[in-house]
Amino acid sequence: MRAPQSLKQEFLKKWMVGLQLCESTNQNMSILERKKAIKLSADIAMASTRNGMTCWSRALVAKTSTDFGNKVLVDNILLASQSEKLKNKRTIIRRKKILRKSHRARKARGGRVVARSLAKEMVKKRTQVLKSLVPGGEFMDDVSLIEETLDYIVSLRAQVDVMRTLAKATELMNGK
Amino acid sequence: MNRALLPEMLNTSMTVLERQRARFKWQQEQQQQQLQQQQESFFGDLSRVFHLQQNQLQGFQGDLGEVVTRSVKPDPAFVDNGWPDLVGFEPCGYGNNNNNGSGFGVNYAISRTSSCPPAVAEATLDAAVLAKGTEPVVSENLSSGIGRESLMKKRKVDKLQSNPKVVAEDGSRDKKIKGCAEDGESKIKEKNNNKSGTTSKNSNKENSAETSKDNSKVTEVQKPEYIHVRARRGQATDSHSLAERVRREKISERMKYLQDLVPGCNKITGKAGMLDEIINYVQSLQRQVEFLSMKLAAVNPRLDFNIDNLFSKEAFPACATNFPAIGVSSDMTNPAYLQLNLMQQQQQQQQQQLVTCCGLEMGINPPDMGLRRTISAPISIPEIFIESSCFTQIQPSSTWDAELQNLYNVAFDQGRTTSFPTQPFTGKIKLTCLFNLHFISLIISIGLKK
Repeated sequence: MRAPQSLKQEFLKKWMVGLQLCESTNQNMSILERKKAIKLSADIAMASTRNGMTCWSRALVAKTSTDFGNKVLVDNILLASQSEKLKNKRTIIRRKKILRKSHRARKARGGRVVARSLAKEMVKKRTQVLKSLVPGGEFMDDVSLIEETLDYIVSLRAQVDVMRTLAKATELMNGK
Repeated sequence: MNRALLPEMLNTSMTVLERQRARFKWQQEQQQQQLQQQQESFFGDLSRVFHLQQNQLQGFQGDLGEVVTRSVKPDPAFVDNGWPDLVGFEPCGYGNNNNNGSGFGVNYAISRTSSCPPAVAEATLDAAVLAKGTEPVVSENLSSGIGRESLMKKRKVDKLQSNPKVVAEDGSRDKKIKGCAEDGESKIKEKNNNKSGTTSKNSNKENSAETSKDNSKVTEVQKPEYIHVRARRGQATDSHSLAERVRREKISERMKYLQDLVPGCNKITGKAGMLDEIINYVQSLQRQVEFLSMKLAAVNPRLDFNIDNLFSKEAFPACATNFPAIGVSSDMTNPAYLQLNLMQQQQQQQQQQLVTCCGLEMGINPPDMGLRRTISAPISIPEIFIESSCFTQIQPSSTWDAELQNLYNVAFDQGRTTSFPTQPFTGKIKLTCLFNLHFISLIISIGLKK
């Protein structure tokens, strides 16, 4: 168990390492490139602070490393932060989801039935949206999706805090 | 959950879920303790009741002995990490089931004495001898749920009717029950059913009298990896629907935790609305990350942030400005929470981490405010501490001190912060010395900057 402060510290450390790596690979970048690099390194740092314990962090790493040729960078950051075990942690054997179609004929009549099915529909739709938001959410079932969302929210919060702090600090320094 | 079994998991870090669960468990434990206490007072012999009564009267006479003993047991969430984000929701948790009484110790004791409504008093009258002793217990019960009131009456009638042998037996059995207060309840219910033949409200507890008895015995043994599923009346009992029910319960449990975590999600009922709120929150956080990275890219011509420079030279302002940001995003501005945290801290001084944590949270006020507070720290102690010993007076100043430490020590060097000696709170002089020292150093640092 860790305090949020240590979580933030770890994140900051890893993020800085990632930024330095980005800097060393490419010296002069446009603002968009820079933004991309910052975001990428922040994401990877966040994922690596969770040490591969959670699905979303693994999914995030996997996604970023398959993206646009920044696999090297990802590897570097992960190596630098000594959590290469994140990559080959464990392959999750997923059960093939058995899609069961409900054989029950949907009754159109009857207000209660309609309302219930409507509510179910709404929940399903929102769950889909949430799955698209949380990295790696497409492969999760409902229970683990909510667990991962919990974790993801906490990490995102830490990330936002640190980034905001850094932004403020740099602003102050540049203002002088 | 199979993830909890991974050993490295336990060593390094826990998921949010587990942390929350630990907290819930603790709360439940507290409730169960009290329930046990109740049962003892009901089913034990009279002398024990009087003994209890004495205890409680002592507790009311203002030395807060009971409150203290009850609140000695630390909240695991606080003990282990002191997550402010999660802990920030503690007050509402206490509000809901204020049986825990560690945070609001004083108020709690008062409410227990005063909140005994006449209806219950009437009910207690027929047990004339016991009335005095059980009154606080009854009101305690009320605070946890009005629905139990009827149960209490039933129990009392039961007690009067049943022969002493049964009572003694029950008392010994109740002592045996540790893990499951619920089952204790069900047992009582069952007895009621046998006698009066009425159907009770929570009929999920009894498929039949026999099975519930058996089940309670099984849970007494406490097999950890075993999920008990019991079907309510009229529910399907085949394995599929049972599994489905378990799954749904799991989901709703986790949703509850999420509800705690996401701000503004408390008032919303219904899964769809909650999911909406969660989606919005996650999206806003992601957008914030996006925006902040853009901002950082715009502000910095180079990617090299040179963090040491940033935080060592600009120590004070950078940090001071960083605090509001943290405070806003993680719901820590609640003054009640701050008090709570201080109380907690007073109980568990052994946790240095908490102190640093607390200090950080104190920092949510803007820099000038922080400065003012640090100067007048011992004066601005909330009233709640005045009743307690002078020890508590020392405590807040120590937290201010920790705050200063944090303000001062900005390079996120936690090793130093945790090594800060919070343990030896032997005298105020030492602390004020430290305090002054830090204040001076702060002034120096400000002076140097300008």
